[in-house]
Amino acid sequence: MSAPTTLPTERPDQASPGGGTGEAPRGPEPSGTPRRTSPRAVLTRLVSRVLGAALVLLGAATVVFAVQTLLPGDRATLLLNLQTGEAIERTPEELAPINARFGFDDPVLVQYGSYVGGLLRGDLGTSFQQHEPVTQVIGGQILPTVQLALGALVLAWVLSLITVLATAGRRRWIAGLGSGLEAVAASLPHYWLGVILLVVLAVQAGWFPVMGGTDLAATVLPVLTLAIPLAGFLGQATRDELDRVLEQPFVLSARTRGMGDAAVRVRHALRHAVVPAVTLSGWALGSLLSGAVIAESVFSRPGLGQVLVTAVDSRDLPVVGGVVIFVALVYVVANLLVDLAYTVIDPRRRP
Amino acid sequence: MYPTLSTTLRPDPALTGHERRVRPDPSRRARRATGLGLLLPVALAACGTTATGADPGEATTRVDGGTIVYAHDQEPPCLYGGWVQQAYLSRQVLDSLVSQAEDGEIVPWLATAWTVSEDQLTWTFTLAEGVTFTDGTALDAAAVSRNLEYWLEEGGNSTVAAYLARYYADSRAIDPVTLEITLTEPYAPLLPALSQAYFGIQSPASLERPDEEICEAPIGSGPFVVEGWDRGDAVHFTRNPDYDWAPENALHQGPAYVDGIEWRFVHDPVARFGALGTGEAHVVYDVPTPQWEVAEARFDVQQYITPGRPVALGLNTVEGPFADRLVRQAFAFGTDREAAVTSAFHGVIPYEGNGSISQSTPGYNAEAADDYPYDLDRAVALLEEAGWTEVDAEGVRTREGERLEVSIVYGAGSIITAEGTTVLQNIQDQAKAAGFAVTLVPATREELFSGKYSGPETYDAKPGYWTSPTAGVLHITFRQHLEDSPNFSNSSFYNDPELEEIIVEANSTLDPTEQDRLYGQAQQIISDQAASIGLYTQTTSIAVGPELRDVWLEDSQGEPVFHDAHFVE
Repeated sequence: MSAPTTLPTERPDQASPGGGTGEAPRGPEPSGTPRRTSPRAVLTRLVSRVLGAALVLLGAATVVFAVQTLLPGDRATLLLNLQTGEAIERTPEELAPINARFGFDDPVLVQYGSYVGGLLRGDLGTSFQQHEPVTQVIGGQILPTVQLALGALVLAWVLSLITVLATAGRRRWIAGLGSGLEAVAASLPHYWLGVILLVVLAVQAGWFPVMGGTDLAATVLPVLTLAIPLAGFLGQATRDELDRVLEQPFVLSARTRGMGDAAVRVRHALRHAVVPAVTLSGWALGSLLSGAVIAESVFSRPGLGQVLVTAVDSRDLPVVGGVVIFVALVYVVANLLVDLAYTVIDPRRRP
Repeated sequence: MYPTLSTTLRPDPALTGHERRVRPDPSRRARRATGLGLLLPVALAACGTTATGADPGEATTRVDGGTIVYAHDQEPPCLYGGWVQQAYLSRQVLDSLVSQAEDGEIVPWLATAWTVSEDQLTWTFTLAEGVTFTDGTALDAAAVSRNLEYWLEEGGNSTVAAYLARYYADSRAIDPVTLEITLTEPYAPLLPALSQAYFGIQSPASLERPDEEICEAPIGSGPFVVEGWDRGDAVHFTRNPDYDWAPENALHQGPAYVDGIEWRFVHDPVARFGALGTGEAHVVYDVPTPQWEVAEARFDVQQYITPGRPVALGLNTVEGPFADRLVRQAFAFGTDREAAVTSAFHGVIPYEGNGSISQSTPGYNAEAADDYPYDLDRAVALLEEAGWTEVDAEGVRTREGERLEVSIVYGAGSIITAEGTTVLQNIQDQAKAAGFAVTLVPATREELFSGKYSGPETYDAKPGYWTSPTAGVLHITFRQHLEDSPNFSNSSFYNDPELEEIIVEANSTLDPTEQDRLYGQAQQIISDQAASIGLYTQTTSIAVGPELRDVWLEDSQGEPVFHDAHFVE
């Protein structure tokens, strides 16, 4: 996992994320060029965003196709062996019906064409293994994963804001404690944390069910497993900003107007300080989906993560492709939302 | 509470208050830890986990109804198929023609009697009357014949094909209750083979359905019916209220006592075993070996040592250093496999020195298991004889500048468990002393099953197993791999016409003593050639909570049987 501080720079599409965020307000946009706000410009921007998103999805589908198709080993053999639990070679006669059924014998370009063609028609295909339409395979499992990811994102925000507001810019030892906690939280591996939570709070204390499920009680521990490390990341990003903002002249002026410390932090400083964490959230939502693979496995929770693991194990291209496209879609949408969020947080960015 | 005898905490059959046969027989299949080793883990149990309260021996009254929550490990892609993970599930809904009882005895199930002709080519089965499938249709000889056709002529089950393809000629219904199976050659292991869940009989109407429906809900005549499958979570079984044709070795006739089974998939061993402790699950699969003695103190722990091929290293006899028999033997002598296994599995799972047949299989050759004790001097002498005389700066032997490097490819997480990986790591380390440089290559399930590591050019050694109730499995694992009759299950690529002849002769010998002698001879040849080196027995275990009784592991493959299970209070 990348260090959080490098993440914003990995997003070149982001319009100068640091630009007007940490700095004290200096009146109008510093760049000088007046922003064009004609409907046409908005439309152009919208179309280019949608086209960009479509290209991202096509790219994701292509990479999945290439990996699934070109890896060493034979897919028909794999499917047959998975039915029998043997890892052996197969005769052409045994493989012929499977190859015919799924078109594995066709030239790769033909297979690619029919796969992408299907995608363009909105047809994700039929699972090689479960013999069910991919939309059905994935559709049945999306909800628990989305609940898990969104729950973790919300909880991570709450945890990080509480820690940061309570400790940033305080006496040295309090601030140190806060940033220390964040560093520890951010470095906890999901698997380790999940098993510890499981053993301590479910097996030993008996507060939560050990064998998952998707009801509220069974959702708490997987959400914590994903939220705690993320809260660390978000906290670190917010804390640096908040420390800086709290030293700005406008904070001093607010204090001299007699504003209380809590109000200064929440009403003035926080708005500036959360921007890096908002940027991170777009990435985080995607990474939560991959973290869900581990959390779902540890807590025996149904969901997309388990679907993905099973599908990769059996090179079930339609299902892997479906999950990857879904995750890519989440990234795209999340980043659009992040862009929107900037304008809410920073009115100067409104068109 | 520190019990001095482990037996005091085990359910006492004499106290359960109703007629039952005791199973499984601990002396044969189950190996239980005894003596001093028990004391420390019990102490850990007392402080490490919540107490269950009730002594399992106290509750005695049978309560009908209730749903058994069973936590299993792997979720297969379909509920029916040729993989043992599918057999676990299909065993709950399908009945087979015969059942294997303890000590390999074959007892009636859907077939009440059978005869074989003088030339052993014609088997005649008399079927039980009044049996109905859960879709309402009647089971008759034509229905069974239809299943044989589905398995062997329509590719319905390739594991059935692995057993019978060479031997099966035809089958037909002589009358509604008389089935005739004709063979091309005598095949004595037919009955044990038929007792496995792969050979479970489905309703012919069920077989006419599309693949995806057979996959989701096979329909048979068994004690349970598939009610639904929440993928990634659980399979739900409900009781078949009409069931009255349990195998003769079942503990009772009539429908199951419980209302159903909630068959959960819980991959994490900590969660699985933990769920039994908190009472969320009544039965859990695969007790983690570090917790074995804790489990024995608190629960009814059953272990099943799978017959068939044990987990053994198939050595590549056609390419690489192991193409030389002397080098293969040197590897066997140069590794202390017993110590490697004992430490990795905490002494819970037995070492198996025989590389072709496991100790719980009828016809097991126990002498061959002792052929290669750890003997470093002999290993070195054999390597010297084979020309690996120089030793380089890193302690690796060389021959004409070539280093003695071997790769072991293993299916991490699919064929070989985490503890099995520790065994391989131990062996890797041990083999250094004799001058082997061993590389361990973990293969994902996808890589392994897609055939990436199937050919002789892809590995020097590969561990594998094959569960089977009969030593006739040798015909699958060591039949020659020939152009016109390929056998990719022979992972050593060891082609030996004499060996194949002996195996085929054994498969066609009805007299058990003579058959065992021939199977024993075949195992000896494989051992002399060091074509496959034994590691440990493939082992199934379950732990049953104190509120549930009479869950047992069936004898052909170790699947849990819930038909007799009932709650007590």
